[in-house]
Amino acid sequence: MSATGFPTHQATGSNRLMLLALLVPGLLALMTTFLLPMIWLARASFSTSSMAAFGGGMTLEHYRAAITDPFYWKVAMNTLSLGVTVSFFAVILSYPIALFLTRSTSRWRGVLTALAVAPLLTSAVVRTYGWMVILGDRGVINGTLQALSLTVDPIRLSNNTFGATVALVEILMPYSILAMLAGFGRLNPQLEEAASMLGASKLRVFWRIILPLSLPGILTGALLVFVLAISAFVTPRLMGGGRVFVLGTEVFQEATVTLNWPLAATLSVVLLALFSSVIVIYQRALRRLEA
Amino acid sequence: MSEHHVVVENLVKTYPGAATPSVDHVSFALPKGEMLALLGPSGCGKTTILRMIAGLIEPTSGAIQLNGREISQTPVHKRNMGMVFQAYALFPHMTVAGNVAFGLEMRGVPQSERGPRVQRALDMVKLGHLGDRRVTQLSGGQQQRCAIARSLVIEPELLLLDEPLSNLDAKLRDEMRDEIREIQSRTGVTAIFVTHDQDEALSMADRLAVMSAGKIEQIGTPREIFDAPANEFVAGFIGAGNFLSGRVTAPGQAEIEGLGPLRFEAPASIGSHVKLMVRPHRLKLAAPGPNAFTGQVDSVVYRGQILTLGINVGGKRLTADLHTHAGHLPAKGETVTLAVAPGDVTFLSEAAA
Repeated sequence: MSATGFPTHQATGSNRLMLLALLVPGLLALMTTFLLPMIWLARASFSTSSMAAFGGGMTLEHYRAAITDPFYWKVAMNTLSLGVTVSFFAVILSYPIALFLTRSTSRWRGVLTALAVAPLLTSAVVRTYGWMVILGDRGVINGTLQALSLTVDPIRLSNNTFGATVALVEILMPYSILAMLAGFGRLNPQLEEAASMLGASKLRVFWRIILPLSLPGILTGALLVFVLAISAFVTPRLMGGGRVFVLGTEVFQEATVTLNWPLAATLSVVLLALFSSVIVIYQRALRRLEA
Repeated sequence: MSEHHVVVENLVKTYPGAATPSVDHVSFALPKGEMLALLGPSGCGKTTILRMIAGLIEPTSGAIQLNGREISQTPVHKRNMGMVFQAYALFPHMTVAGNVAFGLEMRGVPQSERGPRVQRALDMVKLGHLGDRRVTQLSGGQQQRCAIARSLVIEPELLLLDEPLSNLDAKLRDEMRDEIREIQSRTGVTAIFVTHDQDEALSMADRLAVMSAGKIEQIGTPREIFDAPANEFVAGFIGAGNFLSGRVTAPGQAEIEGLGPLRFEAPASIGSHVKLMVRPHRLKLAAPGPNAFTGQVDSVVYRGQILTLGINVGGKRLTADLHTHAGHLPAKGETVTLAVAPGDVTFLSEAAA
């Protein structure tokens, strides 16, 4: 008997074997493509040899280096603050779009939704170059300002955190729009009608009905953007012009320039730990909201 | 004007791009405390009328008056009407009490007063003990009650119900039907409800308006609508009927095709074509004689209190509902004679020959 009252098939001996057999291909694929590399990464972060993950002895040296070096603390803080800023603005800008797309009854709704997420069809690298053209010292904005004699020297819009933030916000917005659209399931025009029948003005309908019901979607969108932003490497690297230091760029630096693989692995583990803790805290909050 | 609480005048709604109006010059008036049913097949415009009164849809033209005030330009949230939605539309992120308190909160009723009023409203619908529950934990019937409490706690000037019983199962539907009726008469609130179910309309409403294709075909008490339908549509939509057409041969007598002479009580000129109707329960087992038809039973449906017979009279089919306590119950294949009193024949229409 099941607690839910639904009739369920109790897995009997041979049934259970069958279920396991069906799971094997998937488990194998996950093992080789996800679990093994993770183990390899974790092992590499303790390695004494600079290139190989599995030769040589074990050491905590890289963790000591990462934790005691104030530079890496600063990098971690940069990463977190970039993630928070980017997800804040991406959510603020995506929310009206997602809300409109959810509530619209226009027959163009499908087309508009496709347009909103169409940027995903081009590579983030290409879009980053696009932002370099727009925000660069000789870019569209500075060129226009100079042509109008509003400024003599170009305004610093790229090769800094500002440029990286702007580009990341735009690049990650389609993800937050998609996440919100998926998370707005509880929004229902009849609830808004019911609220106005009960005397709520448009503004109060928004604050008391629309906003609380769309909160799970907003939080999911914010989490997705946050995770993608703190793991971003290409955009901070290109838009930051080597002056923006985040965990993604540092892992790349250690792995391909300094060739210190164990330290790169250590930084990756730190990044993973950061992810996981954010996700755990978030899911708790989300579950409380939806309870 | 003043004696009517709700007055709807020449209300029209034409949706953009539509060739014909969904609601076509509808007018009716409703005294205070009365319950009106808008009844009709789906797409007849009944819900559109309700939503225009609520302010959720803007009328193309026409006037709506509540308590002597013209309200067709008043925004929804200032109309002070209660509405029970078909799917209840309870706020899923609030408790039962939170849902009921919402309207009071929007009206700025102080917290100290809100609590007791919410409790009274919940007690009225027998949910007094469930105020702290989340609405998602309620059963269908409880959600319905909660929706009613929420719409009545604000003491609306008019209560609107959109297909209030259609989401409930049959047993619960009968129960809620009586309960809604009881609450409505106890609170004395004027109410309009929309339904496609004739039983619901007949049993709940003081008056009903039968609609078809955007127009009101007939408005009257359940009895008037059932016993004296204004036309064939109303007669066919409400209850079952044996529709008969024939030619008037003498005052109060028509020759029905395939059946023979039938007497009825309505003025019709000799020679004209008339349409008449006999409700199945008006046909009774009788000895052959005037206004009686003899034929063979070709179907029998036992429905507990009622036995529905299909009788073939010279190629024409008649339906009769007999009470099962009426002694002998005919079986299939049996030859029976059914008679109807002239006063029980409904006169529908007359066309000159």
